[in-house]
Amino acid sequence: MTENLIETVDLHKSFTVNGKETLHVLKGVTEHIAKGEVVSIIGPSGGGKSTFLRCLNLLERPESGKIIFEGVEITGEKVDINLHRQKMGMVFQHFNVFPHLSVKKNITLAPVLLGKRSQAEADEQAEQLLSRVGLLEKKDEHPGRLSGGQKQRLAIVRALAMEPDVMLFDEPTSALDPEMVGEVLDVIKALVKSGMTSVIVTHEMGFAREVSDRILFMDGGVIAESGNPDDIMNRPQNPRTKEFLSKVLY
Amino acid sequence: MDFFSNIVKIMAKYWKVFLLQGVGYTLLLSAITVVCGAVLGLLLYLGRTARFKPLNWLCIAIVEVVRGTPMLLQLYIAYFLVPKILPFHVTEFGSVTVGLVINSGCYVSEIFRSGIQAIDKGQTEAARSLGLNGRQTMMRIILPQAIKNILPALGNEFITVVKETSLASTFFVGDLMTSYLKVKGNTYLTMECLTIVGVIYFVLTFILSKLLNAFERRLKAHD
Ligand SMILES: Nc1ncnc2c1ncn2[C@@H]1O[C@H](COP(=O)(O)OP(=O)(O)OP(=O)(O)O)[C@@H](O)[C@H]1O
Ligand SMILES: [Mg+2]
Repeated sequence: MTENLIETVDLHKSFTVNGKETLHVLKGVTEHIAKGEVVSIIGPSGGGKSTFLRCLNLLERPESGKIIFEGVEITGEKVDINLHRQKMGMVFQHFNVFPHLSVKKNITLAPVLLGKRSQAEADEQAEQLLSRVGLLEKKDEHPGRLSGGQKQRLAIVRALAMEPDVMLFDEPTSALDPEMVGEVLDVIKALVKSGMTSVIVTHEMGFAREVSDRILFMDGGVIAESGNPDDIMNRPQNPRTKEFLSKVLY
Repeated sequence: MDFFSNIVKIMAKYWKVFLLQGVGYTLLLSAITVVCGAVLGLLLYLGRTARFKPLNWLCIAIVEVVRGTPMLLQLYIAYFLVPKILPFHVTEFGSVTVGLVINSGCYVSEIFRSGIQAIDKGQTEAARSLGLNGRQTMMRIILPQAIKNILPALGNEFITVVKETSLASTFFVGDLMTSYLKVKGNTYLTMECLTIVGVIYFVLTFILSKLLNAFERRLKAHD
């Protein structure tokens, strides 16, 4: 039996827009992500993909429902979420690298500050990670000098430096110029191959099909369909999945 | 012309009053105001973002009231109230300075707020997603970036305060405008004295803003 790394139970999340109206964004999401599993989330804009992903490390707090990570109910009271977040790496659409820190310091800040490593150990690890993604010669530059693709590769290894048990990607290539998408996808592919549990929100259908063990189709605040890539892409059951795929694939 | 020869005569006799006492007190008053105002401003900013809601409301209310009433009125209140409230003896200079500090602190708290809010929300999210707590995120990620917005704005506040301290002359605290009142009282040469003081204020703020520009360029060059 495979072990669940993350489990969500009936997650609900609303936002207040313009101070008054409430927008019900997640309408009961129950899902399991197994250790070592690679799950892609696809679906139309506004369907709640980012919100769901951001709930997993509580960047958004669901109003109701449970999130269980490595056996701990992190939505419960008296949980130090900062400790659990150390085990969940996150990569954002807009990179969010730290512009005031050198490339190397971007990577070493968290492990050193959080007492995971000494500065010397962290420096050594940072250089290893940077050479893995072809950025070693940039280690002393500031991120302002990097291209979008390089920033995103930096953001990925920054998260990896905490040695997370799962990586959450929110449209990691959507803000990139087309010629830089490949270099970032290659890094993610290599990571996934090494066995990293990953949840990837993406609009790159070919990539999702290639790397995923499972694809979730999210629409209207629920997971409307879930299955292996071949089934979802070639034999979608839900009419909304069919409609979405026909729009993005052709 | 009489006007210019009068100015020369006044300066020959009273240059110490204008340039030493007046400029000295104005700069001293401004420096105290901005330094203490920055501390108070930071406290007010922290208060309005604290988790304890009543503290938020109190700090917001203070800032709004101070920003919405004339400074001269606040100085009057400080002048009369501060000596009554404090258990030890305060000079008039002290009381008026308290008024200036409170006024400036409220504007500075807005400087902190806008400087910090200008930092992209993604920076906080990235830091928190790595496991940093709120304080670590503020100290290591947000403030080091926000300081580049805050310092130049604080410099501008200093220049503004240099001019605003002239209101403190209402209470004869010895600043540059007080020098004007004194010398005019002795010479009865109003326009001449006003011109002298005006030129000194202008030169002061001009020099300060040039220094500030140079400082800002250096901050930018470090990026
Ligand atoms: N902080 C917020 N405040 C108010 N509304 C929000 C907030 N975050 C998201 N929403 C709204 O919630 C809905 C779902 O957003 P979400 O970002 O989860 O969608 P998504 O599936 O990721 O879409 P996309 O493909 O465009 O990224 C959208 O209508 C969005 O406008
Ligand atoms: Mg999204």
